Amino acid sequence: MKIGGRSPPFPDAELIRTLAALLNETGLTEIEYAIGDRRIRIARVPGGAGLATTAAVAALSPLPAPAALVDHPGAVKAPVVGTAYLAPQPGDPPFVRLGDAVTEGQPLLIVEAMKVMNQIRAHRPGRIAQILIADAQPVEYGAILMLIE
Amino acid sequence: MFQKVLIANRGEIALRIHRACREMGIKTVAVHSTADVNAMNVRLADETVCIGPPAARDSYMNVAAIITAAAITGADAIHPGLGFLAEDADFAATVEEHGFSFIGPSAEHIRLMGNKVAAKEAARRLGIPTVPGSVGAVRDVAAAETEARTIGYPVLIKAAAGGGGRGMKVARNPTELARMLPIARSEAAAFFGCGEVYLERHLERPRHIEIQILGDGQGGIVHLGERDCSLQRSHQKVLEETPSPALNGEERERLTGLAVVALRDLGYKGAGTLEFLYQDGEFFFIEMNTRLQVEHPITEMISGIDIVREQIRIAAGAPLGYCQADISFCGHAIECRINAENPETFLPCPGRVTDYHAPGGPGVRVDSALYHGYEVPPYYDSLISKLIVHGKSRNECLMRLRRALEEYVIGGIETTIPLHQRLAAAGAFIDGDYDVHWLERFVGDRA
Repeated sequence: MKIGGRSPPFPDAELIRTLAALLNETGLTEIEYAIGDRRIRIARVPGGAGLATTAAVAALSPLPAPAALVDHPGAVKAPVVGTAYLAPQPGDPPFVRLGDAVTEGQPLLIVEAMKVMNQIRAHRPGRIAQILIADAQPVEYGAILMLIE
Repeated sequence: MFQKVLIANRGEIALRIHRACREMGIKTVAVHSTADVNAMNVRLADETVCIGPPAARDSYMNVAAIITAAAITGADAIHPGLGFLAEDADFAATVEEHGFSFIGPSAEHIRLMGNKVAAKEAARRLGIPTVPGSVGAVRDVAAAETEARTIGYPVLIKAAAGGGGRGMKVARNPTELARMLPIARSEAAAFFGCGEVYLERHLERPRHIEIQILGDGQGGIVHLGERDCSLQRSHQKVLEETPSPALNGEERERLTGLAVVALRDLGYKGAGTLEFLYQDGEFFFIEMNTRLQVEHPITEMISGIDIVREQIRIAAGAPLGYCQADISFCGHAIECRINAENPETFLPCPGRVTDYHAPGGPGVRVDSALYHGYEVPPYYDSLISKLIVHGKSRNECLMRLRRALEEYVIGGIETTIPLHQRLAAAGAFIDGDYDVHWLERFVGDRA
């Protein structure tokens, strides 16, 4: 999905945004990602301007589904286009947090489409390895929302 | 005026609408299926939202997904394009109920014209002639003969419960009618379980002529001339031209006048097309399309009016701002529909476009979302390009058409370009001497 701008010309740019967002979300200082001989390293420079710029870019553009995760058996995908909510009600604690163990059928989040709340449940047991969306973020059909490992 | 328009369609028509929006300074939202991620209209759009899997019913006809996409992107209006939801009155109503503008006519007019029987009744009420027929079923030969005298020979005997051309018989005179009626009735009973038949005037060599209308719903209404869409195969238009080589000035004035008066009475808002069969100086209404037509570019070429732009202006509440006298027509235009199909068998041929070179030069327009490396998906309509040529005269237009077809390269997949090349060299087409059955014979002769 692209909202509010044009698609970046290379998939790498999307990947960098995804990784930068993950860096923020997880509080890690460094992520290195390799596919074949292509390698991307995103690092947090303490007090540096580099991260702020990257994070701003990431904030402007809702995340596209990271290509490498599409075929992941633990990928939780949006069954409809809509707005994703991580908690049952505004102010409530989220359905799940990063690292939580989940059982098959456990509610993970809600995707709202035309005022209908579609509850998304875990399709397999495991651990929440990644949460790829923010609360109240618009998501398109097929977008990867979470990763269960 | 709208700030952002969601285009609920795909392919060349989605790109056509995107172009109109961008020229008006309007941002676009492309909604697409997973099969169209790399489509040109998606690549060019300001914002994109994937709304579903390849099957059209789950994506391009998925009302909830389209409305949700409009909501999350903050679009003001939705353009349905053509096909898919363009003539779905419930969709038009839903769009408006959710606070978006529907770029098209009112749901009420879409519904009226969507019902073929109601549309014909409405046409008759509005003073437009329809194909003459008997009122209800005919009981016996005597009644049939009386009806046939009023209708005029030849007549078509049709099964009341029928369809798809089955159980139809042609009678050219009272003797044939007396002989065919019992046969038609028993066949109707055998095929459809009901022996009721009715009569209709049989048109043996009609042309398909349609009138383009623009109305603002505020009293402003104009026509943009006719299009001759008689070159058809399996009820699909293949090549269209304007003006029609078959109409004289008096007939043109009569028909366009009739269409304008009728739709003014209706208070029609938006772009619409009235389709007629034409034979021996007589016009018969068949149906009205309450949407943009595939062949709209030829009208744009001779009238200089951007029909999509007008649709958007009208939907935003603007008056036409011009009247019939302000519109002038210049020259002749032809459109070839180029499909990803084998030009002899017409079997669809999806796949990767390995070479692409579009024709250019004076008077040539190509409406296509193709590009080098594009993969034509197997899930949708096979129309991949529209080649439109314009010339000062029909002859200039024909010469230009031939050279533009020579230039056009679409490699890697089969297309109907060779069919158009054969057509452009066919004597009857060059003479403008064809009817709705001509192309079927032309294609069949070769097979």
